[in-house]
Amino acid sequence: MTAGEAPLELAERALAHLDGDGQVTVTHERSLMSRFARSAPTQATEIDDTSIEVTVVRDGHVGSATTNRMSDEDLRATARHAMAAARALAASGPGGFPGLPAPADQSAADSPAHDGWDAATAALDPVPAGEALAGAFGATAEAGVEAFGVWTAGAVHTAIVSTSGLRIADAVTDGFMKVMARRDDARTGLALDAAVSSTRLDGAQIAGRAIALVGDGEPATLPPGEYPVVLAPEAVGLLLEFLGELAFNGQLHAEGRGALAGRLDTQVAASAITLTDAPLSAMTLPRAFDAEGVPKRTVPLIDAGIARNVCHDTRSAAQAGGGMRSTGHARTPGGADGPAPANLVLAGGDAISEAELCAPIERGIYVTRLWYVNVVHPGQTLLTGMTRDGTFLIEDGRISRPLADVRFTDSVLRILEQTQALTAAPRLVTEAEFYGRRFASGVVTPALRADGFRVSGGAD
Amino acid sequence: MSILDLLAELIATASGDCTYAEARHEQSVAEHITVRNGEVERADHDESEGIGVRVRVGGAWGFAATREVSRTGAQEALARALALARAQPAAGLAPLADVPAVSGHWASPCEIDPFTMPFEDKLALLHAAEAALGTDPRLASREATFSAARTRKAFASSAGTAITQELIECGAGLSATAVGNGEIQTRSFPLSHGGEVASRGWEHVMTIDLVGQAPRVAEEAIALLTAPVCPAGRQTIVLHGEQMALQIHESIGHALELDRMLLGEASYAGASWVTPADLTGDLRYGSDLLTVTADATLPGGLGSFGWDDEGVPARRYDLIQNGILRAALSNRESAAAVGLQESGGCARADGFARQPIVRMTNVSIASGAAGTLADLIADTEEGLYLETNRSWSIDDRRLHFQFGTEVGYEIRGGELGRMVRNPSYAGVTPQFWGSLDAVCSASDWHLWGLANCGKGEPGQLMRVSHGAAPARFRDVQVGVA
Repeated sequence: MTAGEAPLELAERALAHLDGDGQVTVTHERSLMSRFARSAPTQATEIDDTSIEVTVVRDGHVGSATTNRMSDEDLRATARHAMAAARALAASGPGGFPGLPAPADQSAADSPAHDGWDAATAALDPVPAGEALAGAFGATAEAGVEAFGVWTAGAVHTAIVSTSGLRIADAVTDGFMKVMARRDDARTGLALDAAVSSTRLDGAQIAGRAIALVGDGEPATLPPGEYPVVLAPEAVGLLLEFLGELAFNGQLHAEGRGALAGRLDTQVAASAITLTDAPLSAMTLPRAFDAEGVPKRTVPLIDAGIARNVCHDTRSAAQAGGGMRSTGHARTPGGADGPAPANLVLAGGDAISEAELCAPIERGIYVTRLWYVNVVHPGQTLLTGMTRDGTFLIEDGRISRPLADVRFTDSVLRILEQTQALTAAPRLVTEAEFYGRRFASGVVTPALRADGFRVSGGAD
Repeated sequence: MSILDLLAELIATASGDCTYAEARHEQSVAEHITVRNGEVERADHDESEGIGVRVRVGGAWGFAATREVSRTGAQEALARALALARAQPAAGLAPLADVPAVSGHWASPCEIDPFTMPFEDKLALLHAAEAALGTDPRLASREATFSAARTRKAFASSAGTAITQELIECGAGLSATAVGNGEIQTRSFPLSHGGEVASRGWEHVMTIDLVGQAPRVAEEAIALLTAPVCPAGRQTIVLHGEQMALQIHESIGHALELDRMLLGEASYAGASWVTPADLTGDLRYGSDLLTVTADATLPGGLGSFGWDDEGVPARRYDLIQNGILRAALSNRESAAAVGLQESGGCARADGFARQPIVRMTNVSIASGAAGTLADLIADTEEGLYLETNRSWSIDDRRLHFQFGTEVGYEIRGGELGRMVRNPSYAGVTPQFWGSLDAVCSASDWHLWGLANCGKGEPGQLMRVSHGAAPARFRDVQVGVA
């Protein structure tokens, strides 16, 4: 943006270069990130960058071009690239994209208000970051362990304008801190906090929780097999992120490739499981609209164990037919990546603590975090990965001693089918991986207890 | 004033405020086209330009990036980088490995600039490849992709370096996903996860036989729907070169990143089962047949360049010689931390808005003497042949891994037998590489490009290549998923 120019004004300036139907999305990111290892700062990064994405629709085809240069000449050239692509595509005959959402579907008045902006976070002051790191270093030094992790804060403005009359803007902030406490013998524990505001990130407090997960004593080992498990929110959150892509992507579902193909309105999980995409939930990282400017709205996905809906963008809604409309889950204008939920909320249960979840387990596993998880069989939601940073043996109803990390190979839906109980208070968890332009998201989830967790190998 | 002069002037102004400073300008353009189920699903053209400034104040680093390519923009980024470094908790000033002051220009090989090729030609190729996958109704998704990228870099540092580079990348691939019989099965060519990309021009795409291979890819995807499940047990496996590339990437390349050994990435990417002390010992990493090099000078490799993003000249050196560990992948800071005089030249950044971190260059296994893949199969009495990566997972020390491939075939009496679906195998890094007993010859050695290696916070995607030939391993656990 030129000095004093708002994202909406920049988007309007870019749109003026379009000939035909199209949309311009402006995303302005400012962010800070401080990494640390062995209780010392290692890398500190500040980013100030803006993307201008021009999307052109012609005869059912979508052409797109992106730049971060803002002169009129650059914006004109970017628009030309998008228009030329769409024109070339249209030469092959009509395409299947139904067109950008109509203004009636997405007026500015419909865009929901949210609490996703914090002015103090947006100031991006590096001093609190240094203080948070110092707090973590102090707490871990007192415990005789070392601190590793990251502190980050970001402020992102998004504006979308289109030739159909759309003119909307949104602004969000996010803060995140992760502390891994590591003892000399390589045993680790991890804790994190994520929120709209970075001002609540207390390095010493987070480090204290991480230290508690390091555990005492020599780790036990477990042979492969099926064990009762208590999954901490961090572990549940990662499983649900994968489920979001494998089961609730409306494009995969419409093509019969989704994990819930043919299973909507059937029991797919235990009755204790109610999963919603709730972009305006107080605990999540809210946002007003999706990449096509469609207002975000709450979508029930699993209700008391029964699969109810999948998510849609404009393209997948058209594929689904039956008058289906976008649910506000486009990841890209035109829907090339397919839709996905970005604000999953798993409803809490009755257990007042994780200790209560452990109580009925005679011999099982407590898992803090899952790592390097990958899809083995998409239709079965079968994943494999490792436990990490706080794996414990549960014996006689309580956490008894550290457990060497294990490899699991199991189905997310099967784990949810086996779920017996959840803690009452969910919290926001995220891995805060910011590849490309910053898009903060997370899962609000409690801890859960499941009857069978399939261990396929060990790490030591 | 040239951009390089602007950067050099900026660095000169920083000299009194920090112990080290570098500035990197990058201008990049990328194109992606995807044809899926008869339609163009994606046609993107992305451009970006900006400056990243990294400084060291005491022992603390600060990095700031701006899209404002001007003297004012660069100076503001420098000021922000300095403020960021000063806000860090105090850290001791560790040395950096020496780097020569260099100047010059380097460009990757490119006969036909992919950005000069008509858009319509690229579309025609993809439509033809996608159409050649056929129209069997069991194919829920038929996809052909093309990608190209060009990055122009300028770099100046307080070590006296002032250089420019131009890197071209180009590639294509296809995949077919079949649905039926309660199964979802995908086959890809030449590799999964986005096709085969090389640091070459359009001429590289012309070497990939998308149209010719498409019918086989579609047939195999459909055949997998009803193929028997891969049996579980311990047996001999033969890995195709593409799966070998990922095996090298995950269990050798990442494990030998020196920042991981020094615990610098412990909370995110993880550490390593290899320690710095192992670099001066005689750690046996695998069998005598295992020789692995890091080579940033390899023509066409996605990990090739003239200088890394700290201005260190491209190098080729052995990481493992005849099974014995010899060296690690390093940048200036990690090299100095273990007493090395020079960096391994592995500092790479994903665009102007990311700082350089330790990354692989081209990490490759030396070819062996087992002849062709057909020779190796003929030499194998009983086993399992595995092709094209489908899933991958490894622990945070790069020790215990589990891989799945798109397809497997039983080997019986030196011949390929039944196709099996959902094949997988697992192992422990040094034991697995210790079981290596044959590597195919140079005729079957190929440089495979991987364009999606994630590391760092904020996240960075890096392009790397791995030279690999099909190879055989004894007594491996298979059918684990």
